[in-house]
Amino acid sequence: MDSDILTTLKILIIGESGVGKSSLLLRFTEDNFDPEQTLTIGVDFKTKRLNINGDTVKLAIWDTAGQERFRTLTPSYYRDAQGAILVYDVCNRMTFVKLENWLSELEMYSTKSNIIKMIIGNKIDREEREVSRDEGVIFARKHQTLFVETSAKTKDGVQCAFEELVEKIIQTPDLWDSYSPQNNVHVGLKDHPEDSSCSGYCDLL
Amino acid sequence: MNDLLNEVVSPEDLQKFENIYHQQLYKNDVTPKAQFEYAWCLVRSKYPVDIKKGLVLLQELFTTHEEGKRDYLFYLALGNARLKQYRQALNFLNAFLNIEPNNSQVIGLKNVIEKKMTQEGLKGIAITGGAIVALGAVVSLGISLLGAAKK
Ligand SMILES: Nc1nc2c(ncn2[C@@H]2O[C@H](COP(=O)(O)OP(=O)(O)OP(=O)(O)O)[C@@H](O)[C@H]2O)c(=O)[nH]1
Ligand SMILES: [Mg+2]
Repeated sequence: MDSDILTTLKILIIGESGVGKSSLLLRFTEDNFDPEQTLTIGVDFKTKRLNINGDTVKLAIWDTAGQERFRTLTPSYYRDAQGAILVYDVCNRMTFVKLENWLSELEMYSTKSNIIKMIIGNKIDREEREVSRDEGVIFARKHQTLFVETSAKTKDGVQCAFEELVEKIIQTPDLWDSYSPQNNVHVGLKDHPEDSSCSGYCDLL
Repeated sequence: MNDLLNEVVSPEDLQKFENIYHQQLYKNDVTPKAQFEYAWCLVRSKYPVDIKKGLVLLQELFTTHEEGKRDYLFYLALGNARLKQYRQALNFLNAFLNIEPNNSQVIGLKNVIEKKMTQEGLKGIAITGGAIVALGAVVSLGISLLGAAKK
């Protein structure tokens, strides 16, 4: 069973309540959007298979609740994650400012020191933008994370964000080869994924 | 595969939130927060006795603490599902969906449970237990209270 799968990766989504974490996940896994998406209770979980340069990777994605009352327990889901997506809302500066806290929480509770981080500025379809793309890029560069702007509503950048993150994890075998040691002969690594349709969107920093 | 029904709380977390709860219990001043956090750990334990204890705490919260009703209902469903009491779990989730029909998190958990039931050949088999009547009462209470809480 699952012999065609290169590896299973644990991905975490964190950030303030209401920034669109669950909406991004719903767009990515089911290509759907719910304008009345309700706030997550505790933590949600979804899986998705993704093809990266000819290899199939299974993603186990943990979508945490941003609401204060769940914060004490959500960090316990950070352990063993190979990738973390930190989301803010480009129309709400406070959610951008709070990224510092999310980064240090991640630092504190993630068990893999070389975990791949990606910052996502979501809701770019809306007009009342408060955080410019440049600010996002600079922040991400400073913290050495990937950076993408998205709209879960219009799909902009969503697929690309997940692909970029997974590709970066796959390029870091230390993160996952102990997970499935029998597979580490065949990694399917490409240094320059020039065929990636995402390169226009994502900044690999 | 670690999913919502079989990921397990770390012993340190369980211990930590158990201590907080017991300290408050000792002072006879248990906050809903401490009780919920302990219950959240308990229903994710690998031991059924822990899960059952968690369900008792959640039921108590459900009937006494207005604000967290949605959360308690969801974790009541999760705990029951982890005990393989799938029908009770579905009762809770259906009650939830009566109020929030499009909740993707609840629909997701429901799908997982229905898949398990098919896998384990449980479809159509009534699981009986003394708890059902009491749980049924909680569910109908849940419907009215969630309804009342809706703006
Ligand atoms: N216009 C627009 N609205 C969005 C977008 N993404 C999410 N939303 C809306 O923003 C609200 C909050 O989205 P959620 O996905 O529930 O936010 P969350 O980060 O998961 O919140 P918590 O679960 O509490 O942590 C919902 O009403 C969504 O429909 C987007 O890209 N554009
Ligand atoms: Mg959410």
